[in-house]
Amino acid sequence: MTRRYFFGRSAAGIGTAALASLLGKDLSAAEGLPGLPHFTPKARRIIYLFQSGGPSQMELFDYKPRLTEFAGTELPDSVRKGQRLTGMSATQSTFPVVPARVEFARYGESGAWVSELMPHTAKIVDDLAFVKSMHTEAINHDPAVTFLQTGAQIAGRPSIGSWLVYGLGAETTQLPGFVVMISPGAGGGGQPLYDRLWGSGFLPTRYQGVKFRSVGDPVLYLSDPPGFPRENRRRYLDVLAKLNRLKLEEFGDPEIATRIAQYEMAFRMQSSVPELTDLSKEPEHVFEMYGEDARKPGTFAANCLLARRLAERGVRFIQLFHRDWDHHGKLPEGLPKRCKETDQPAAALVRDLKQRGMLDDTLVVWGGEFGRTVYCQGRLTADDYGRDHHPRCFTMWMAGGGVQPGVSYGATDDYCYNIVKDPVHVHDLQATLLHCLGIDHTKLTYKYQGRHFRLTDVHGSVVKKILV
Amino acid sequence: MTTTAVKIALIAIAPLLLPAATVEFNRDIRPILSDKCFTCHGPDPANRKTTLRFDMEAGARRAIVPGDPLKSEIVRRITAEDKAVRMPPAYAGHDRLSEREIDLIRNWIEQGAKWEKHWSFLPPKRSASPEVRDSGWARNPIDRFILSRLEREGLKPSPEADKTTLIRRVTLDLTGLPPTPREVDAFLDDGSGNAYEKVIDRLLASPRYAERMAIRWLEAARYADTNGYQTDGVRDMWRWRDWVIDAFHRNMPFDQFTVEQIAGDLLPNATLDQKIATAFHRNHRTSGEGGIVPEEFRVEYVSERVDTTATVWLGLTMGCARCHDHKYDPIRQKDFYRMFAFFNNVPEKGLVYNFGNEEPAIKAPTPEHSHRLAELDHTTARAEQRWKALQPRLEKTQRKWERSLAKARAIEWSVPDGLVLHRRFKDDDSGFDGRRYVEAGAEANFNYMEPFTLAAWIKPAAKDGAIVTRMEDYFEGEGYGLFLLDGKVRLHITRRFTDIGLRVETESAVKLNEWQHVLAVYDGYRYASGVKIYVDGQEQKLKVLFDDLNFPLGPKEPVRIGGGGGEKLRFKGAINDVRIHEIALTPEQAWTVPLSGPVNEIAALAPEARTHAQAARLRLCFLDRFASKNIREAQKQLFEARKERTKYFELIPTVMVMQEMPEPRPTFLLRRGAYDSPGERVTSGVPEFLPQLPEGSNRLGLARWLVDRANPLTARVIVNRFWQMYFGTGLVKTVEDFGSQGEWPLHRDLLDWLAMEFMDSGWNVKAMQKTIVTSATYRQSSKVTPEGFERDPENRLLARGPRIRLSAEMIRDQALAASGLLVEEMGGPPVKPYQPPGLWQELAGGKGYAVDKGEGLYRRSLYTYWKRTIAPPAMTTFDSPNRETCAVLEVRTNTPLQALNLMNDVAYLEASRKLAERMLRDGGKTPEARIGHGWRLVLGRNPKPRETELLAEALEQFLEYYERDREAAGKFLAQGDSPRNKKLDARELAAYSGVASLILNLDEAVTKE
Repeated sequence: MTRRYFFGRSAAGIGTAALASLLGKDLSAAEGLPGLPHFTPKARRIIYLFQSGGPSQMELFDYKPRLTEFAGTELPDSVRKGQRLTGMSATQSTFPVVPARVEFARYGESGAWVSELMPHTAKIVDDLAFVKSMHTEAINHDPAVTFLQTGAQIAGRPSIGSWLVYGLGAETTQLPGFVVMISPGAGGGGQPLYDRLWGSGFLPTRYQGVKFRSVGDPVLYLSDPPGFPRENRRRYLDVLAKLNRLKLEEFGDPEIATRIAQYEMAFRMQSSVPELTDLSKEPEHVFEMYGEDARKPGTFAANCLLARRLAERGVRFIQLFHRDWDHHGKLPEGLPKRCKETDQPAAALVRDLKQRGMLDDTLVVWGGEFGRTVYCQGRLTADDYGRDHHPRCFTMWMAGGGVQPGVSYGATDDYCYNIVKDPVHVHDLQATLLHCLGIDHTKLTYKYQGRHFRLTDVHGSVVKKILV
Repeated sequence: MTTTAVKIALIAIAPLLLPAATVEFNRDIRPILSDKCFTCHGPDPANRKTTLRFDMEAGARRAIVPGDPLKSEIVRRITAEDKAVRMPPAYAGHDRLSEREIDLIRNWIEQGAKWEKHWSFLPPKRSASPEVRDSGWARNPIDRFILSRLEREGLKPSPEADKTTLIRRVTLDLTGLPPTPREVDAFLDDGSGNAYEKVIDRLLASPRYAERMAIRWLEAARYADTNGYQTDGVRDMWRWRDWVIDAFHRNMPFDQFTVEQIAGDLLPNATLDQKIATAFHRNHRTSGEGGIVPEEFRVEYVSERVDTTATVWLGLTMGCARCHDHKYDPIRQKDFYRMFAFFNNVPEKGLVYNFGNEEPAIKAPTPEHSHRLAELDHTTARAEQRWKALQPRLEKTQRKWERSLAKARAIEWSVPDGLVLHRRFKDDDSGFDGRRYVEAGAEANFNYMEPFTLAAWIKPAAKDGAIVTRMEDYFEGEGYGLFLLDGKVRLHITRRFTDIGLRVETESAVKLNEWQHVLAVYDGYRYASGVKIYVDGQEQKLKVLFDDLNFPLGPKEPVRIGGGGGEKLRFKGAINDVRIHEIALTPEQAWTVPLSGPVNEIAALAPEARTHAQAARLRLCFLDRFASKNIREAQKQLFEARKERTKYFELIPTVMVMQEMPEPRPTFLLRRGAYDSPGERVTSGVPEFLPQLPEGSNRLGLARWLVDRANPLTARVIVNRFWQMYFGTGLVKTVEDFGSQGEWPLHRDLLDWLAMEFMDSGWNVKAMQKTIVTSATYRQSSKVTPEGFERDPENRLLARGPRIRLSAEMIRDQALAASGLLVEEMGGPPVKPYQPPGLWQELAGGKGYAVDKGEGLYRRSLYTYWKRTIAPPAMTTFDSPNRETCAVLEVRTNTPLQALNLMNDVAYLEASRKLAERMLRDGGKTPEARIGHGWRLVLGRNPKPRETELLAEALEQFLEYYERDREAAGKFLAQGDSPRNKKLDARELAAYSGVASLILNLDEAVTKE
């Protein structure tokens, strides 16, 4: 008998004597494991801004002036070193280097290089820690996103948010501990996402991320049907609870007590979630900060604002996905659009949290699943080019929650192809995120199929140098 | 959860775990050694720091002195206070062993440190049913095993559940649906001694039983309607799903069920059904993501088959041995790849088609399909006969016509069928100088699954040039094109040049500076084998350069003559008489295209002097324009019959199946499990600790080995999962792991008895279900006393009957059944019941999920369309496995999202309305009677007075509300597609619908008790 039993079945195992008090108690907030956090955490929650598709590092943050020199020349074998490429470009007859066709400048006291595509982010660089030496093992979207989310390329393991809620529980009794929000690029396209990316894998399903939607009910089946007002629902639940209590008295099964409590929790969510998603009371200056898009449900901007509201209400792990960063072709057309959609709200979120004193215990993470190749994929013309997936290096940034502000960590070569200093593997990133929340990544485990699994598999080391 | 609660619970559970007087190695010691020591002192040599190992007796002798714990190094180490000395070490992530664990090890050594082979690797033994004091209670041997343990623990079994509870329990368990009130009444009225048995027999004979059994198997088999990775394209595997249902319905013995699914294709004279059965191992996820390294994923598929086979039949976690030797069980990495070798010989691709089944796939007609196809074959045969009978007449009339041509005016004729573009240049305008090209309009916009024919006369002055294209104007551009490259004729159909397209060229080159005719035919089936190229009417030998056309094209460019494919490929020389047909010309038609001049000239030749092309032209021209109505009619009928047959044939579903390549692929151990890191070559085989197969066995050998009586695992693993279906937990709780990290069976004797019984009965599945559900153990009341709960919260000892939440599909199916909406139809393509709008689009864009109309809304949940990456929310909310990988463990949670789903999902609101209609229509006159009727439809029993009273109160309040707000009643009733019974008063119906929803939301409604 282990704690797994309790967290799998919540109320069971407590004994009938305790049941009565349970009925008044909230059961939905997953409670964490005993002994966690392992040490005093710097951050209490994470807001992870996942840029799905793989934003190009060399057009955004990883400034490579020498690429202009190399423009149009073949990527040297000495740089590529026979590393594998995707099936989309591996058989190209030529691999011409294409430099970023955007201007870069240095910003802030930290003097971080930022491209003109990210003017708002440029203004907050002194709050950010850039990691320019991220690298991954996967070369395609599905395995790469899955790797970042679960620590394994092949789907089936719990996502990082599920691990966190499993380990730490939530700080809210009104909302799920792990919330996911998705915004498409304005083109509506981009790589698909999958429910399993926020799934709980082999952890009990109660730890899976709950998707907040911008169409219809924010949470599935949240609204009562038309013609069935709250007064009816209240009466309904009162009678339901009475009937279930009769059953409990007769059968003594604590699952019945849990069910009664879950219906009450559902009722409370029916108020708390709409209150949360209702942005009408946010003052004007907030919309100025996040941008007009924040008024449109389902945009990245609106989701950033919601993320702050979720953070205020104690949600442990808030994950936003913005789609359509996959610029195999037409990069000069597509990339600025994605930047326009995300730059201002992401920067606003950091500023907003800071103004509210929440940045200290909220860790904000920005990044995609891999980087992009320095060579052109497809046709290279005067006004068009594309870049293929590049797992060897990419850039992410973090802010707040135990991370040093105004630093840049790791470096890539002049071709922005290989890492030359301080590589950070996906497992290292995961170890670091857990560390910020007070978790030793080697100790948060779950026994499944006879093995003690963890988010970082058997790897990962905390990137201490970027921590406060 | 407070710490106090944890403590209370631990105390409550402790009695189950108290060590028996005698320590048993397998039960008490191996689990500790496995969990705490094997990582470094276990089967995996890579991790062993010393020669000391605890997974085998010889390896542990150094640290264990039988009979003398004090002299045993192991005891010194596990009890050491000094962290540097203590085992297991903190760096391995372990705390000090508990006192209980230390005592167990001490006692075991004291008692002589007896080792045993791991229990599940030893063959099951049928032990005599144990003696029990209350022998009258037992109905079959199951009960004696259960009772003997209860008596040892000082517990008593619970009384039998009342008859209504029992019939609801067993009907849900065996069919996944609630009993109808009539079935309940019949059972209550049946006072005969075998009344219960009669119910069981009726249920086992029902097709609903087969559907209920099938769903757990579908989960284990990771069955779904989409591919799973990335864009998650569609596939058609439902013919296999129906095979499973049919097998359960016919009570196919489980050994046959196994052999046919693993290797039905390799059985002598394999039937269609046996081939369909092998779809089991094509159910795994596949990737159609552009750019993947195909071999990486193909290796993933094969590995997945090993994992799934091991989990489903053997209860082994073989996947752990993919990258290194197993840390806990004696499975070497090599053993993984020896199993891998059985599944590595499928002629399959790593990068799969995104819009339907990938090869190997077979046509899998249902009996209805076969019947219709036979009819169409018959029609075609008759048309052929008629055509054949007309041949003499055709010959005769054609000859007569030929003779008449000598004096007739000149007849020009060329193939008219499907001609969408024809461009002839004046002689002085047919020159192309390497810069010029001609745009020829927006016709001929073919996609990758559409046939076409391209033809032209060319007089090339250079070896390279574009002849006719419809593509982006650079060499790798998207679209299709006919080229000369190095003098050879080439057809390209390109989506993305590097990895998605089709390219073929002729083996020989054309001549320069001479007029020649080139013609290319593509049949529209996306394979290079469907391309033919003719030069001057002669079919050419072709070389396939690339053959992976699996994605639609998006060409927005015009047809270009002499251009397309970039500036370097502008044609040099002359081009004329360009034709594009929107059909694939037959060889006869293709031969005739180069021919010009009046057909009269051909007719003037003696028949034996004509070339086959000339003869074809004459015949086609005659049939097209001059044959008698009778003949043309007959030909038309023949074409129509063939066309209809082809059309129907294409509608017949296919299913992906297993096949063996003529030459097996060589299999290598893959270092670290990586596809590109082959180590030593291995042959097929099974782990050494299990009975062995003859060297060189194939998949069929493996299939038979799985269900060989000598195999110690399969029967145990399968009966354990059956047990889980009824009691919520297996006798071995870790249903997926019978290895040393798995749970020691609480009732090993019973598990073995069931396994032996299963095999001795000839693997009779229905008989095994009957044995379980007729036991007194199963028939106990599930009421819990506080003492009973504290003693055994999980009900592992079974001093009471099972009380567990219904599975996802049962909850929905019950609502459909109780409301009368359920459409009881077996099999067929998947259906799309209600789902909140936008779920697919928000993650994947596209057109999204199109909800069915009519019957598709009300079929049983196992027929629901299953998109892996966005699974039906009403199923996953209730813990349904997501079908990504094999799932055998039943999981039940209890969450607020479930409450919202049951209260507000249109499916349940509609069911509530229909249930309310039944209550009003058939329930009698009084609210009490009507409430009672609804209650019985869902719960099987009559409500107690207090229950009726509470619901009547709710009804009263709802009625009052809808009296006040009639419009609200209309809105509330507008849920779902089924028409509302207009004869019923809207206000009353709305109020009753609220009550019906309440009943469907009761704890008892979602629980089997």
